[in-house]
Amino acid sequence: MRALVIDDSRAMRRIVSGTLEGFGYETRQAGHGQEALDVLHEGWVPELCTIDWNMPVMDGLEFVSAVRANPAWRAVTLVMVTSESEHGQIVRALAAGAHEYVLKPFTADALHDKLALLGLLPQEVAR
Amino acid sequence: MSAPVVTELLDEGTVAEIAEQAWAALVGEEEVLVPLPGEPPTDPVSSWVEVVGPWTGAVVLTCGRDTAEQLARALLGEHAPEVVDGEDVVDALGELANVVGGNVKALLPAPSVLGLPEVGAAPSPGSPADTCRVDLLWRGQPLTISVQGCALDLTEENGVSL
Amino acid sequence: MTLTATGFDWVRQLVHRESAIVLTPGKEYLVEARLLPIARQMGLPDVGRLVDSVRSRPSPESTRRIVEALTTNETSWFRDGDPFTALTSTVLPVLLAARGPAERLQIWSAACSSGQEPYTIAMLLEDALPNAAARVSITATDISREMVERTRAGRFSQLEVNRGLPAPMLVRHFTRAGSEWEIAPALRRMVTAGECNLAAPFPRMGPFDVVYLRNVLIYFDLPTKQAILHRVRALMRPDGWLFLGAAETTLGVDDSWERVVIGRSSAYRPLKGA
Repeated sequence: MRALVIDDSRAMRRIVSGTLEGFGYETRQAGHGQEALDVLHEGWVPELCTIDWNMPVMDGLEFVSAVRANPAWRAVTLVMVTSESEHGQIVRALAAGAHEYVLKPFTADALHDKLALLGLLPQEVAR
Repeated sequence: MSAPVVTELLDEGTVAEIAEQAWAALVGEEEVLVPLPGEPPTDPVSSWVEVVGPWTGAVVLTCGRDTAEQLARALLGEHAPEVVDGEDVVDALGELANVVGGNVKALLPAPSVLGLPEVGAAPSPGSPADTCRVDLLWRGQPLTISVQGCALDLTEENGVSL
Repeated sequence: MTLTATGFDWVRQLVHRESAIVLTPGKEYLVEARLLPIARQMGLPDVGRLVDSVRSRPSPESTRRIVEALTTNETSWFRDGDPFTALTSTVLPVLLAARGPAERLQIWSAACSSGQEPYTIAMLLEDALPNAAARVSITATDISREMVERTRAGRFSQLEVNRGLPAPMLVRHFTRAGSEWEIAPALRRMVTAGECNLAAPFPRMGPFDVVYLRNVLIYFDLPTKQAILHRVRALMRPDGWLFLGAAETTLGVDDSWERVVIGRSSAYRPLKGA
């Protein structure tokens, strides 16, 4: 399975990518929403995107809306991974089309549990 | 109606709790923050995020440069590159401010907007009445988190935009 | 008195035996940090004395608390999700068909820790059943008074709500309370929490239609496991359902149960006439 990790912090991109690779994912990274859309347009359409909210150029919420507006990308699961932690913000992200929401700070276990809920753990799918 | 001051919205215990959770989850489960002041660092560096809303100000994290480098290594942990360079340190410190700042923002009146992290010399604080500051020790080294009202325009000054 | 090398080794072997988790040398600091609160609650000054005390007088409760403190950071909400899926897919429809409309279903979460399990059940029922609060009551018990109080409060840290709680359920059933998240009052009212030592005679409660007794039998020896299962059975309705942890079974322990496979999980039902 493939995952696109979208975050403006490269430390966070390394942590999330490394964690997902540990679960069996092949990953690519993008520093903001527009860069991530470019990856999708290029034809690299992953099963999973993890998406920070506050980023330069195009934020995570705009990215979610853009992905949801394109039927060709319907199969992509969108998981917000962000420090935006108000009740209302989670509602907004879900309404825009995000499937899940991981609050920063998070642990690898938290990411693991959410992917288990979504049936998106590569080793388990293969089993 | 006058703008609220942060001390009416938050207390030190809550800010320390947010920081402790961020450290336990991201820096390492054994990494504790001890709520004690230390000697101020001789070569401080700060990272901050701006909050704009009914209350406007910044959430600022300040520590010594050595501490910042250790924090970057601990945050990256097993995912650290072979060489952790200056850019990694700036980035990691900024991300910690973003995580603490986002969670602080959730306790402030809505709607509030979080800015992107910046790193550099600490922005000037607002009035003491509009500042909620916690002094902590991480691995015996001082680290402060200050939720402070806006004295000046924080965005364009001495920050390194990330 | 700090933890000695022998003491650390004892903890290491215990945790490995009970959870298959390996504490590598160098984790002494972690053991000290995690076990200190338990030592204090037991009125002991430090972790060294705690380990000495538990080694000389082993008890399943203190053993379980030590293992849990070292193996789980936060209890996950849908921990091994299948027993919860089974509740709404199979168990609930069967029970609703068998019971009268005025009969209240009684569910027991028998080692509820900080409350994730009983509230997971409450959320599922609230979403699956109109007027759930009037139709179901959930009894949540734990040996630790602190855990019972946490369950009653129904408040969870950000790190706790991050663990396996689906975001749509978080926004539907929780509100923010300062830096924590608080379960909706209607769900809190469905759950009654109290202390219960599984290894001792049970307080008056039940009869239960469903019992969740998960990840706790592993800490007891065979005769105690048998006694607990026997007492649980006495509190269950004859057509009730028992869920155990994924690594637990009644097979070879107590033959008065029938194992029923539901999807990817198993439930146990009292054998008639056994």
